[in-house]
Amino acid sequence: MSSVNRPDGRNGREYWRSLDQLSQTGEFKEFLNREFPQGASELEQVENNDWSRRNFITLMGASLALAGLASCRRPETHVLPYVKAPEEIIPGIAIQYATAMPLGTGVYGVVVEAHEGRPTKIEGNELHPSTKGASNAWIQASILNLYDPDRSRRVMQGASEKTWSDVTSFWRGELTKHQANKGAGLAVLSEQHNSPTFARLVRQFKSAFPMATFVTWEPAGDELKIEGIRIATGSVAQPVYDLAKASVIVSLDCDFVFGESESVVNARGFADGRRLKSEKESMNRLYVVESAFTSTGATADHRICLQVQRIGAFAIRLAQALRAKGLAIPSADGLSSIDLSDIDSKWVSELASELLSSRGRSVVMAGRRLPAPVHALVCAINSALDNVGSTVAWHSAPDVNVTNANEFATLVNAMKSGSISTLFVLGGNPVYSAPADLGFADAYKKVATTIHLGTHVDETAEVSTWHIPQSHFLEAWGDARSVDGTLSAIQPLIEPLYHSKSDIELLALVVSGVDARGYDIVRETWGASITALDFESKWRRALHDGVVADNRTAAVPALIDSGAVANALRSADLSSDKLSSSSMEIVFAVSGATFDGRWANNGWLQEVPDPITKLTWDNAAIMSVGTAEVLGLASGDIVKAGYSGRSMDLPVWIVPGNADNSVTVALGYGRRSAGSVGTDIGFDVNALRTSKAPYFDAGLTLSKTGRTYVFSTTQDHGSMEGRPIIREATYEEYKRDPNFAPEMVEHPPLESMWNEHKYDTGYQWGMVIDLNSCVGCNACTVACQSENNIPIVGKEQVRKGREMHWIRLDRYFAGSTDEPTVLHQPMACHHCELAPCEQVCPVAATVHDHEGLNVMVYNRCIGTRYCSNNCPYKVRRFNFWNYTKDYPETIKMAQNPDVTVRSRGVMEKCTYCVQRISEGRITAKKENREIRDGEVRSACQQACPTGAITFGNILDPNSAVSQAKKINRNYVVLEELNTKPRTSYLARVRNPNPALEGVSCGRG
Amino acid sequence: MAQIFPRWTNNLPPIVAGGAGVVAALAAFFFWYYGSPKYTDVGYRPKQPVPYSHRLHVGDLGMDCRYCHTSVEYSSVSIIPPTQTCMNCHTLILPQSEKLLPIRESYATGKPMQWVKVHKLPDYAYFNHSIHIAKGVGCATCHGDLSQMEVVEQKQPLSMGWCLDCHRSPEIPIRPAEEITNMKWTPPANQREIVAKLRASGAIAPPEDCSACHR
Repeated sequence: MSSVNRPDGRNGREYWRSLDQLSQTGEFKEFLNREFPQGASELEQVENNDWSRRNFITLMGASLALAGLASCRRPETHVLPYVKAPEEIIPGIAIQYATAMPLGTGVYGVVVEAHEGRPTKIEGNELHPSTKGASNAWIQASILNLYDPDRSRRVMQGASEKTWSDVTSFWRGELTKHQANKGAGLAVLSEQHNSPTFARLVRQFKSAFPMATFVTWEPAGDELKIEGIRIATGSVAQPVYDLAKASVIVSLDCDFVFGESESVVNARGFADGRRLKSEKESMNRLYVVESAFTSTGATADHRICLQVQRIGAFAIRLAQALRAKGLAIPSADGLSSIDLSDIDSKWVSELASELLSSRGRSVVMAGRRLPAPVHALVCAINSALDNVGSTVAWHSAPDVNVTNANEFATLVNAMKSGSISTLFVLGGNPVYSAPADLGFADAYKKVATTIHLGTHVDETAEVSTWHIPQSHFLEAWGDARSVDGTLSAIQPLIEPLYHSKSDIELLALVVSGVDARGYDIVRETWGASITALDFESKWRRALHDGVVADNRTAAVPALIDSGAVANALRSADLSSDKLSSSSMEIVFAVSGATFDGRWANNGWLQEVPDPITKLTWDNAAIMSVGTAEVLGLASGDIVKAGYSGRSMDLPVWIVPGNADNSVTVALGYGRRSAGSVGTDIGFDVNALRTSKAPYFDAGLTLSKTGRTYVFSTTQDHGSMEGRPIIREATYEEYKRDPNFAPEMVEHPPLESMWNEHKYDTGYQWGMVIDLNSCVGCNACTVACQSENNIPIVGKEQVRKGREMHWIRLDRYFAGSTDEPTVLHQPMACHHCELAPCEQVCPVAATVHDHEGLNVMVYNRCIGTRYCSNNCPYKVRRFNFWNYTKDYPETIKMAQNPDVTVRSRGVMEKCTYCVQRISEGRITAKKENREIRDGEVRSACQQACPTGAITFGNILDPNSAVSQAKKINRNYVVLEELNTKPRTSYLARVRNPNPALEGVSCGRG
Repeated sequence: MAQIFPRWTNNLPPIVAGGAGVVAALAAFFFWYYGSPKYTDVGYRPKQPVPYSHRLHVGDLGMDCRYCHTSVEYSSVSIIPPTQTCMNCHTLILPQSEKLLPIRESYATGKPMQWVKVHKLPDYAYFNHSIHIAKGVGCATCHGDLSQMEVVEQKQPLSMGWCLDCHRSPEIPIRPAEEITNMKWTPPANQREIVAKLRASGAIAPPEDCSACHR
């Protein structure tokens, strides 16, 4: 077990990337020792192709000789100028437009870069409260959804192609009938919205068709959260957190930095509370109670792993402890029978004392899976702790359309009974995503006329009477409120690529039969209610800024209806079933990649490794080491999962730190009709999902099938042989020994073998990554992919270690397999001043420039891969195939014109976004000034929700990056190799409660 | 026994060796000369869809380059003018000209003109017009004296070595801002001093790094 010397941190902690590494299996060793896996250099990918490398070269030699003769003439190319130049566009200069990306009951404010009318890159909008200039992987990847070549292109009626005017004339014919019988038999099924215009149209729909049904449903909605606040306060409101003000944060199954709504600002606020410029500053403390490891759990200072079905009980136990200490919290005594004996009672009482001692500076958060009464209780706790108005506020949500599972079930029953004759599905894919027990697909077929609006010809579209292509948010007008009520206009950047319509355009047609333009529909809403005075200038200002300033909805007063909360708790079924290996808990989670399946055809999201499992292109049955041992399972075993009378095959993936007897499965995979990328990727766990328990339930059984499944995981890729790459200490240790990080490795004086270049003039670029802020959310990786035209390679190629991501997010486990902690470390090219890669390149294709960048000259590279062999950080990527050659036209439109699209046989790696540096340098030179600090931001830095990445000129002593490098947590990875990297890290500091030292976190 | 090889064959090895050397040298010269952009690209003069004459517009009429190539001071690309720009004048001047028929058609139908690209850089080289203009590189330095060109042709090789010639010794092309579009500008006698001063002050600092153009 210790044939590889593992890093001995301060606590003698061991860091490991996978269970294979921990046990040093042969497979792991082989992966480690080979730069590229067995056969990676062979041309063995094409099926039925028995070409060896040698006869390939023989053939290529002949064709090259012929090609040489044919290529003497230079091909004629054309320049096509505008006929009439649009006013704002100067070719070659990108324009930024503010717009917004709606998601669920919130919206992300974004700024989109357009090149000659072609949107290419999405960033957060600094003026918008839900992004504050940052973004996440979903926002970054949404540009690819626009250009998805598999998008639905035309209106279809059955198998025949139709047009939008066919739809309008069809509906106008139907409309009088529906108006006459007041909408009886008419139903609309919609996704979640928080849009004044959509809400207005819904009101119009309900008044035009009083007998009709309008239902909102999504597979992973925010219903329970909003319902909980309604129970506690009597108002429809959404929680808005200000985590920067919180010194104690308690998360109950709430992955607030990654998977829950508003993750961008919540991650930012959380990180703001722990930036630690020195050991004298204070930092917040995060307690997480969850079953499967999440990004939030990985950043936690204390993590209890507890099955989800018992987290509600934990909340009650916490409330009781707070009550015992004199806090006025509604009682829920009836639940004292819940067995939490395996959790040390000291844990709960310490947590309660800490919450009490930080009244007004603490916050308790509950995740979307927990029952509404638990959310209500959490509201009461926050209110009693005086947190409302400080760390949390409930902003009323007048325009919100939130999931309603009961209404959805009622609708499906009505469909089954034949009382629905016409059904509009406004976005979403319920045939795929509806829980299995509802039998939605069968019920759908019983409806005489079904009209589906969707981005793809998906599972629902295939069985609909009519299918209408849905516009991407960059193609259509709209509006939306963020969770705090701030209003944004959604403005399109491009005409619809296909014959698509937005949901408000279709709903407006449904209501009145009028074929209105989205622009007019939105302006009608705004003119009527929102900005009646001085409309035009306010409208233009809103389009420019992306938000309407000072437009938050009112905060709901912190008056808790204790009786209602207590009643709800009493009537709630929070008792938990006894779990065992023969009756386990099944937990449904949203996928960090495809969400609920809507982004299954997005290759960027499919290929980005999951923050914890590091799986790409897959979901799995995630379980603990202990559970797998009891069942005799290993990662990759296929099991038959049985639950509530249904069963399906699922592959197992073991994650240390999962709660025992609890299996988490991600929604959003196993799409049968997603497109060329997403079809048949992973496993459709909706087949096990029921409407009775959509998120978690006991009663899952697993039985071995004897078959195995091949995953593509990146968890062992680029392993660095166990050297102290990642450094951390507890807050107490940091205070005692502030220089722990740079002093962790002792080495003799470092001397270079040759005269070193002095990088002492001009700009010298450098980067600092704060591991204390990084939550491993992949925003940087996808932002980099979008900015730098990085191709996806597919599941097979990832398995061979050929993924092209320039930023790798290394995930390390530390500690025992039962109670591990997780650390994330982004790893990209370090731009070493004494770069080992440069020393071995035979053609000088990788060299240094005068600003300290390790530049990669694609047109010189001949693909020897020596550089990658010699890179100690393993951050160079090789184009084994010509991934970009067969790009469809639309994908070509997504490419950044400022970055070369690489061909086969070329090495590539992080450039510190040299194209942005060039642009900044040219702009500054034209204005006869220096580049200002912060003017050039790398794509990863701009995207990072927590602000973990600082980039700039390290020669300027006042620059943010210079200041960051002066922080005593600053260290350089593999300093002893004397590579002098320009990227350094700030060591991670955990802040565990000293009073809980030695108290087990519990195994649930 | 008769000798298999006659005596003169003794001279073969040096002849073959020498001959191979000459052939190799000739081949090298062939590729150096005929393979260089100086030979392959300079003088490229494709036929354009409309026989637009720079000699007439620039030389005889004295129009400024920036009347049509408007973005050259701001953007990396110097645009080929939209059809609209031609029609600004040609609705009144020569409105019936047969040569201008494609222009009028483009304007009427909205279909863009298909001009043939003359000055072409590889996709992996990122050239920026605006910074060169801002630093005093005149149009004629790279594009030649347009006032004398009936048909636009490539006058310079646009090779990397040719770019670096100026980036390493920018004495030759730098000129005052007001002379940028002057086709007939000649450097003053003290050009070297002027440029040396600009370099010393940091006003002119052409990068020679790969990353300046390749990314």
